Formats: sequence, structure tokens, C-alpha cells
Amino acid sequence: MSVASESRDLLVKRLQRLLRWRLWIQERLQLSEWQVTLLWAALAGFLGSLSSLLFSALAEGVHEVLTGSSAGVVESMRHLPWWGRILVPTLGGAAAGLVLLYGQRLTRAQSSTDYMEAIAIGNGRVPVRASLVKSAAALFSIGSGGSIGREGPMVQLAAVVASLVGRWRLFTGPQLRLLVACGAAAGIASAYNAPIAGSFFVAEIILGSIAMESLGPLAVSAVVATLTIRVLTSAQVLYKVPAFQLNSPWEMGPYVLLGLVTGSLAPAFLRSLKQSEEFFISLKLPLVARLALGGLLVGVMAIHVPEVCGNGYSVVVQILNGPMVWKVLLGYFACKWLATMASFGSGAPGGVFTPSLFMGACVGYLFGAAVHSVWPAGAMDPGAFALVGMGSFLAAASRAPVMAIIMLFEMTLSYDIILPLMLCSVIAYYTSKGIQGASLYSESLKRKAASGESTPPMPAGEVQDLMKANPPVIPPTARFAKIAQMFLSVRVNNLYVCDAEGRFQGAVSLHDIKPYLGEIDLAELVIAGDILREDFPRIGPYQTLSDALGLFLSHPVERLPVVDPQTGKLRGSVAKTDLLLALVEKRRKPTA
Amino acid sequence: MDLPSQLLANPDALILDLVANSREAALCALHAQLATSPAVKDAPQLLHGILERAMLAPVCIAPEVALPHARTTAVERVVLGVARIAPPGVGFDAEHPHVRLVFMVGTPKNQVEEYLLSVAAITRLLKVEGVRTGLLTAPTEAEFRALLARGAKR
Repeated sequence: MSVASESRDLLVKRLQRLLRWRLWIQERLQLSEWQVTLLWAALAGFLGSLSSLLFSALAEGVHEVLTGSSAGVVESMRHLPWWGRILVPTLGGAAAGLVLLYGQRLTRAQSSTDYMEAIAIGNGRVPVRASLVKSAAALFSIGSGGSIGREGPMVQLAAVVASLVGRWRLFTGPQLRLLVACGAAAGIASAYNAPIAGSFFVAEIILGSIAMESLGPLAVSAVVATLTIRVLTSAQVLYKVPAFQLNSPWEMGPYVLLGLVTGSLAPAFLRSLKQSEEFFISLKLPLVARLALGGLLVGVMAIHVPEVCGNGYSVVVQILNGPMVWKVLLGYFACKWLATMASFGSGAPGGVFTPSLFMGACVGYLFGAAVHSVWPAGAMDPGAFALVGMGSFLAAASRAPVMAIIMLFEMTLSYDIILPLMLCSVIAYYTSKGIQGASLYSESLKRKAASGESTPPMPAGEVQDLMKANPPVIPPTARFAKIAQMFLSVRVNNLYVCDAEGRFQGAVSLHDIKPYLGEIDLAELVIAGDILREDFPRIGPYQTLSDALGLFLSHPVERLPVVDPQTGKLRGSVAKTDLLLALVEKRRKPTA
Repeated sequence: MDLPSQLLANPDALILDLVANSREAALCALHAQLATSPAVKDAPQLLHGILERAMLAPVCIAPEVALPHARTTAVERVVLGVARIAPPGVGFDAEHPHVRLVFMVGTPKNQVEEYLLSVAAITRLLKVEGVRTGLLTAPTEAEFRALLARGAKR
């Protein structure tokens, strides 16, 4: 044998050994489909938290420009003269209206799909321009002291970013919807510094399922978002409260009653918001004037009660740390209700999640104070009733009692109150459900599902709906060395083999070739046709998801090739993770 | 003893100093003997499979060694035929004009692992020092078989 030939063999041998090691390492470190999903969820959480921070900073900037103060919304309003308290919300409303009006030119071709629709009844594509326009308008309605929460736009922006990432990576429908859900969870977690509640908000309210297939990625996203917020800002527990406790088992009686009260008031609150919306529309005012009117009404109330401005955070802190004069609080409660009706009804972009917490805190404190006045032992601390009232009102309004309980716990880290909180939230939930069918979020989803506005709809249950085109393919004549290289470059366990016409021939399994990666002679001798498994399971594009599930259950594979039964051509592949997500989604699909 | 060792120690067909003037003639002669094995259920199909595979991609693993093979439904277990062609050998392709050792392998269609195991065992056998030269020069069938068995044991 010549020296040149020997050195070539040596080089090939070294390369093969390197290849074998790389494959060995890759196999041990190779991420499963679920692990990859978790990584994308983490990215969605990170980007979602950044978008939330950006929105918060911009909203504070707008607020500072309009009020000349960098203090909280209520504090800034207190320092304004009476005309300033009217002018700022009015101007903010008008500016939000102008942004929406001119934004319509940019978004004419786009649907009004928000993140909830995109996840629950859409295809996961959240329109970018429409969301940006809505968020830009929200900067003015929120920054000017509108009685509305900032969590809505923050969640929408986080969802948009996640949707963009998923679309860039060409995610399938179920994957994209899950990623958008992760973005939404990150938005909530960022807004309230509450990762568990962020996960459960999306799982319970939007997905309607707490299956691990979806809850796992949501949790990862929410945790990453919260961590990012904590690292980049000084965010701590949202509501610092005194140590509440259940002073006597007798207090449970009033808490049961509080559950009934908040469970009855929450539907009335939601109904009033809807009626207010209808009222403003019936005025037939131009958009800018309508939003300016909403701001004006808030401003007029703010002359004497500046506490109606903003999402109500500072007042809630005040209530929880008490004591409060019940007559003053009753005034706050009534005015805040009206102010939220004015802001929400006029169409000011923002959320009503935090205002709901405000309403709950007021109702709880007033109820606790009333009980205390007639039976001190039944309500030793009205502040504790305020806290429980927040949770139960939220549970009744959102129809998500688990999320409400967790969120209140996370926002206050007050464990001693957990027993009455759980009991009261559940009672409020059932009371509210008995009074009114729709929740804070279900109404618009049902309306859109019924009208068919959301496009395109969820998968109908055929394999082609979940199919991903262009899976990695090799020809039957591909050599062993080429096959090994392919396994290194694409993250699959089976490579599909197709002939020149694209007809599916079978699959080469990584498991089969693994022990022979060090064999130099096989590198040139063996071709794909020698080692392909012709009996590899396959499925047709028009077969049902149940058929696919049956195949996945009987074969230990992560992906199935989708083969046209007529032509035998490979159309794509379907992943087990997508199938499981789609099946979870099918179980909770909203009915029109 | 594992499957490849059993095969190498007792091939289903063995021809020494086969006289052939072409690749096809050599393959047909070895196949004719291999076809007498009870494990071969469809001899023409086995030959067809081996020729078809040889046309798809080269089957030589050394200047004078070829390993024609096929995965086919014509056999019910892995079968092995070994032939030593009389000098100067036959040309299998442009790069291998003097092939003298032929290992013909037939594997059931569904036995991918067994196929790889057998083919890898043969390539390893030929790397054992002295085996390839010994197989080319062994004067008797007994010594030829002994070399195959010796290689199989390693």
C-alpha cells in the first residue's frame, strides 16, 4: 500500500472517529421535541418581558409629558389644577383616538385578531401592525390616566413578539398557538410579577386546559419573563400587605357571604361595561371624539376623586394597608366603577383586569367593615376581607378561580389568607356562573367564533392540517458517510428516503447505523437503499388525527411521514408533539 | 457464536479458484451454488437483487475484494457465498479491474440490523493481518475455511 493511500486511510479513520464521537455526544445531548418547545417558550418569555418593559417605560414617558410628573398616576393627578385633571385624560383619549384612526390606514388589510383569538380560535398569527397601533393608542389612554389597566397591551405585545418568532421559524399551527400562549403568559407574569398566575391565566382562561403539554411551556415562559423583569428592574412583590390571618373559624361565615356578594357584583360590573360600550357606540360620535369624551368623563370625576385615574394600583395598596373611612371608600368604589365604564365604553385600549382587582378590594373592605361594625369577631381586619375580595371578584369576573387564587397569593405572598381566599373565590365563581354565562374574556371569543371573523379556523382534524412540508430527505443511493452527515446536521432520528420522483421508499434509522459509524469500509459500500426500512409507518394527508395517534401509539417514532396514497409521494411529516397539542386544543374548542 | 461468526465459519457456498471472465459470470457461478441452500426460497430473485444492487453503486471494499449483496424477500435468513477467482480476477468496475475475492450476501428484507452486522463482520475480517493474503493464497479448501473461521473468532 502506498504512503499516500495509508495517510488517506488514517485521515478517513480519524474523521470517522470524530463523527462517531460527535454523534455519541449529540445523541446524549440531543433535545427532544418537547425540550425544543421549552427552549422556544423560554425565548418567548424573555422577549415578552422585554416588550413589557418597553411598553411600561413608554407609558410612563407619555404620562410624564402629559402631567409633568414622574410620580404615580393618582399622585400626578392630585398635583394638577382642576382644569388639568379634565384636560389630561381628554387629550389622552383624543390622542389615542387619533392613533387608532390613522392607524386604520396601516391596518386596513389586517384582521382585528387579538392574542386570545389567535390562540383560542385562530391560527396563532397575531397581526403585527394592528397590535402595534392598538398598543400605541393604549400608551395615550393609559399615560393620560384613563381608568384602564396596562396589562392588556403588555400581553398583546408579548404575544405579537412570540407570534413573529414562531412565524419566522415556520411553526405549525398548534406550535404557533402554543408559542403565542407562552408570550401571553410572559406578558401577565411581567405585568404582575406573578409567574404561576401568568401560566394559569393562559391555561385556564384561553387554552381551557392545564394539560402538561401546554402548561409546561407556559410555566417556563412565565418564569423566564419574571426572572428577566427581576434582573432588569427592582420589581418585588406587587402588593406589600400586612400579615393577614384567619383570626377565628367564625370568620369563615362572613367570607362565604363575601363570596356571594362578589359573585353577584362581578357579572353586574361586566354587564355595565358592555352596556357602556353600547351606549358610546349609540352616540355615533367620530372615534376621536368618542375617546375624548371617555377621557373627559374620567377627568370630571378626577376633579374631586383623582383616585379614579389609572388602574387603581396605589388605591388598592392603600386599602390593603388600611384603615379606610368606609364613606370615602364607597365614593372611590362608585366613581371607579363609572370611570372604568367611561374609559372601557369609549373604546380606550387597555385592560380591565387590574380595575377588577380594585373593585374587589373595595367590595371586600366595605363588606369587612360592615361586618366588623355589627360583629367585631366576625371580621377582625377588614383589610383581609379586601384581599379576599380582590381574589373572589377576579375569580367571578374571569371565571378562572384557580388563577385568581394563585395570583392573589403571588401578588401578596400572604399564605395565611389562603383558606378564606380559596373558599370565597370558589363560591364567587359558582355564583357568578349561575348569574351570567359569559366571563370577562369569553364573550368576544364566542362572538368571533360565531361570526367566523377569525381566520383561518382551527384544524378540522385531518393530518394535512398539522403537516410540515419539506422534511429532510435522502435518495436511495446516498452513501453511508452522507447519511451520517445528514443525521448530524438535522435533528431527526429517521431520515426519509425518496426516489427521483419524490416517492417515499422508507426510512433510515439512526438507531440502526449508530454502531457502525466507525467502519471506514461501510462508509463507501453501504447506501441508503441497503439499510432503509420499507415498512416504516406512514400516514395519508386526509387521514384523521385519531389515525395518526393510533400509529404513534403503536410505533416509537416522534414524526410520521405523510404520503399521498394515490401517488406515493412524500408530502411532509407530522410531529407527535403537534398532534398531542392539537388533540388538547380540540377538547376545549369554543362553541359558537 | 454470533450470527456473522457462524456465517463466516460455515458459509452457505464456497468456490475456490473459480474461472470467470466477467463480473456477471462470477456472480452467476457463485449464486448457482448459493441457490442450493435451503434458506434461498427464490434463487432468480436473489440474483436479480444482487445484480441490481451492484449496478446502483459500487460493491468493492478493496482492490481485489467485492461484497455484492442484497436485501431481499428471496431468502429466509442471512446467506453467505464466498468465491476465490483464479488470477487475474475479474473487473467489477473501472477502479477494481482485478477482483479475486467475492463475498455474496443475501439478507431478508426486514433484517436491517443483521445485514449491517454481517457486512461489517466481513469488512473487519479482511482487516485482520494476514487473512486477506492468506485467503488469496490458501492452497486447500480446509485452509481457506480455517482462515475464515480464525477471522470470525476475532
